[in-house]
Amino acid sequence: MDDSQFHSLRRDPSAAFAARLQASLRAREVSSAGRTFRHMRGFAIAAAIVAVVGGLLSVPSVRASAQSFLALFRVVNFVAVPVDENRLATLQEQNLDLPHLIGEQLQVLQDPGPPTGVASPEQAGDAAGFAVRVPAYIPTGAYLSAVQVTGTRHLQITPSADRLRQVMEALAISDLEIPQEIDGKLVDVRVSPVVMLRYDRSGAPAVQIVQTKSPAVSLPEGVDLRVLGEIGLRILGLPPVEAHEFAGTIDWQSTLIVPLPPTATSFKQVVINGNKGVAIERTLTGPNGSGTARGNMLLWSSDGMVFGIESTRASSNDVLQMAESLR
Amino acid sequence: MPGRLARWISAEPDWDAVFADQLPRVFNFFRYRFGNTADAEDLTARTFEKAWRARHRYRRDVAAFSTWLLSIARNVAADHVRARRPLVALEEASSVVAAGTPEDQAMKNSDGERLAALLQLMPERDRELLAMKYGAGMTNRAIAIATGLSESNVGTIVHRAVQTLRERW
Repeated sequence: MDDSQFHSLRRDPSAAFAARLQASLRAREVSSAGRTFRHMRGFAIAAAIVAVVGGLLSVPSVRASAQSFLALFRVVNFVAVPVDENRLATLQEQNLDLPHLIGEQLQVLQDPGPPTGVASPEQAGDAAGFAVRVPAYIPTGAYLSAVQVTGTRHLQITPSADRLRQVMEALAISDLEIPQEIDGKLVDVRVSPVVMLRYDRSGAPAVQIVQTKSPAVSLPEGVDLRVLGEIGLRILGLPPVEAHEFAGTIDWQSTLIVPLPPTATSFKQVVINGNKGVAIERTLTGPNGSGTARGNMLLWSSDGMVFGIESTRASSNDVLQMAESLR
Repeated sequence: MPGRLARWISAEPDWDAVFADQLPRVFNFFRYRFGNTADAEDLTARTFEKAWRARHRYRRDVAAFSTWLLSIARNVAADHVRARRPLVALEEASSVVAAGTPEDQAMKNSDGERLAALLQLMPERDRELLAMKYGAGMTNRAIAIATGLSESNVGTIVHRAVQTLRERW
C-alpha cells in the first residue's frame, strides 16, 4: 500500500449535492430572519421563496388565466403571520422544514453570485436595470456607506404532494386535502437584481434599504392554490377556523405572506405613500448572545417594486420617514 | 475591547467562500470516517446547517473557521456513531475483507472501496484521526489542537494506524 492509496478515498462532493446544500443553506438564511443585515440581502429571495412555497407551505393562489399556461404571481401586498416555533421545530427534527423541502426540489438555473459593491445608487441602477430610489430623509448622523447589487436569480421548484403530506402528518393536520394537481408541476421563480443601500452611524451599520422589482412567480395552471394557502397557514400554526377564513379573504394573486420571525415582538400594517406594507419590530441579540436591542423591519411594494428597510440603530419613526421619502 | 476589534471578531465569514473552500474537506472527513457517500453527504449537510445556525457563536480570535467547522463535524460524527448500530458496519467491512486475498480484492474493488472497508475495522479514535489527516487534510499539529492530544501523540497514533492499514492491505 503506497502513500497515494491513503488518499484514494478522497473525492470531490458531487456538483448536485453541493448545489442542493448551498440552496438549502441559502433558504435557511432567508427563513431564519436573523439578527444581521446579511438577512436583508436575502430579502428579495425571501419574497420569492416564501411566495413560491405555495406548493409546499403557504402563499399565492392564482386561478389560471385561460390563455396562458402559467399564471403569474407578483407581490403587491404583504400580510404578516405569526409562526408557531414549536411546529417548525417539529418539522426541522424530521427534515421536513422549509430549507430541506426547498433544497430537495430546487433547481437553480441562474445564481446571482455574491453582491457587488458599486460607487453610487446611480451605478447600482444601471447594473440592476431600474431607477434606484434613495431616501430624502436620513436620520441624524447617518450616512450612505455602501451600495451593493446582486444579480438575477432564477429558480425552479417542483412541488411534491407526498412531501407536503408528510409535513401535514407530522403536524397532525388531517382535515385538509392536498390538491394532487400540484404534484410534479413546475414553479418558476425569477428574482430581478437586488440593490442594497447601507447607512452607517458612528461607524456601525444603522439602516439598510433593499429594493428590487417584484419577484415573478409562475405557477402551474389548474391548481386551486387557495387550498394550498390554507394548508400553509395551518402549517405555520394558525388555528383551523382562522386559517380557513383568512385563506378565503386574501388576494392570493398579489399577497405575500411574511412569516414573523420568532424574535418578533410586534407587527402592524402600515401605509407608505398609499401602499400597504407591514412593519415588524423584533429583538436583536448581540454577538455571542450578549445584550439585546430592538430592530425594525418594514416591507412594502409600490409600482411593481418591492422595498425593505431594516434598522438596528434607528427608531421605527425614522424608518417610516425614510420609507416615505424614497424618491 | 475596541469597537472595531469587537466587530472584526464577531463578523461573519464570507459564507460563499467558506462553502467552496470547506465543503470538500468536511465531506472527505466523513468519507474517511464512515466510507459511505450517502452518509457523508447527509452528515456534511448537517454540519453546515449546524454551523449556520451557530454562526453568531463563532469567534475568529479563538479559532480558525476551518477548525471551528471541523469541531462541529466531529460532534456530528460522534452523534452519528451513537445513533447507528455499530455491528452493521463491522459486519459489512469484515465481509469485504474476508472475501479473498488482498490481490483478489484489488481486482474486485477499487482502492477507495478497500480503504473504506479497512477503515471500518480500525478503532474509533484511529479512524477519526485518519479522517482528519487524509480526509480533511489536516496537519498533525492542527489535529493535536483540535483533539487536545499532543502533536507527538497524534503522530504516533497515525503512524501505527497507517502501519496497520498497510499490513491489512
